[in-house]
Amino acid sequence: MVASRRDRGYTLMEIVVVLAIFGVFLFIIVTLTSEMRRNEQKWPVNFFAHPEVGGVLARMRRDIYDSTSLPDNFETYTNGPDTLIVYTINQDGTAETVVWDFTKKGEVHRKAFKAALLSSEWIARGVPMFLATAQPMPSGQDAVRIRALDGSKLAIDEIIVPRPHA
Amino acid sequence: MRRSRGFSLAEVLVALAILAIVITTTIAMFAERTKRMREASETILAYQALSNEAEYWRRESFAQIDNPDNQTFKSDLDILAPLAPYTTAVKVENTRADIRNITLTIRWAHREAHLGVARADTGGSGLW
Repeated sequence: MVASRRDRGYTLMEIVVVLAIFGVFLFIIVTLTSEMRRNEQKWPVNFFAHPEVGGVLARMRRDIYDSTSLPDNFETYTNGPDTLIVYTINQDGTAETVVWDFTKKGEVHRKAFKAALLSSEWIARGVPMFLATAQPMPSGQDAVRIRALDGSKLAIDEIIVPRPHA
Repeated sequence: MRRSRGFSLAEVLVALAILAIVITTTIAMFAERTKRMREASETILAYQALSNEAEYWRRESFAQIDNPDNQTFKSDLDILAPLAPYTTAVKVENTRADIRNITLTIRWAHREAHLGVARADTGGSGLW
């Protein structure tokens, strides 16, 4: 009587072929994964596709474009890489002081003050580390350079120049 | 009975051919996706640098635009580090006495990105 496949088990050749095919699959997967990791390490995250980051940049651009001055200090805040202070014009013609606070990791706080009173606060969460520095331009005008880091990689670098105000 | 006969050579070959097509297509799709993601990242970085450079050229004095020694990138290009090695070029076209067309170019690998800035001589009235 001929023994069934289940009784006979597999031959060495069958097992070798199966393992070889499995090995090829494993090799392909490992190669693709390592290629992905290499790419991830080389390129910064595309923060422009991140809605919160887009919101921060859009509001910051508006504040800086419409600013009339960039005060060194306001209340307890001092202008520096992790704090941006702008004196900006509103749509109704009034002015306010806006403090962009980047000190808390993963968060950006936009605090608007009428005189010395906090009139509104907006918080963006899950955002990269932002830096704001003064950027002198050839015309002698002060601009603001906004940078955002993905780890140690520079992901956003934008120079924003205030509009002239007559 | 099929269970005791096993598979014929033709059946095994057809199965392997289908498997090979699936694997090849998957790998090709993955490679194309990786390439497009890389190109998108490159483009985003290049146009950030070009946009910043354009801000400088918008504010350069009109008389200095024609100076060949001045026709280099002036902004900080740290953001282009992943594109290294790259080259930059500034081309100034004198289409009219009071107009200059400035083309900023970044070249890397086998790609390039351009941004044009038009400057008009405002007679030094200092718009900016």
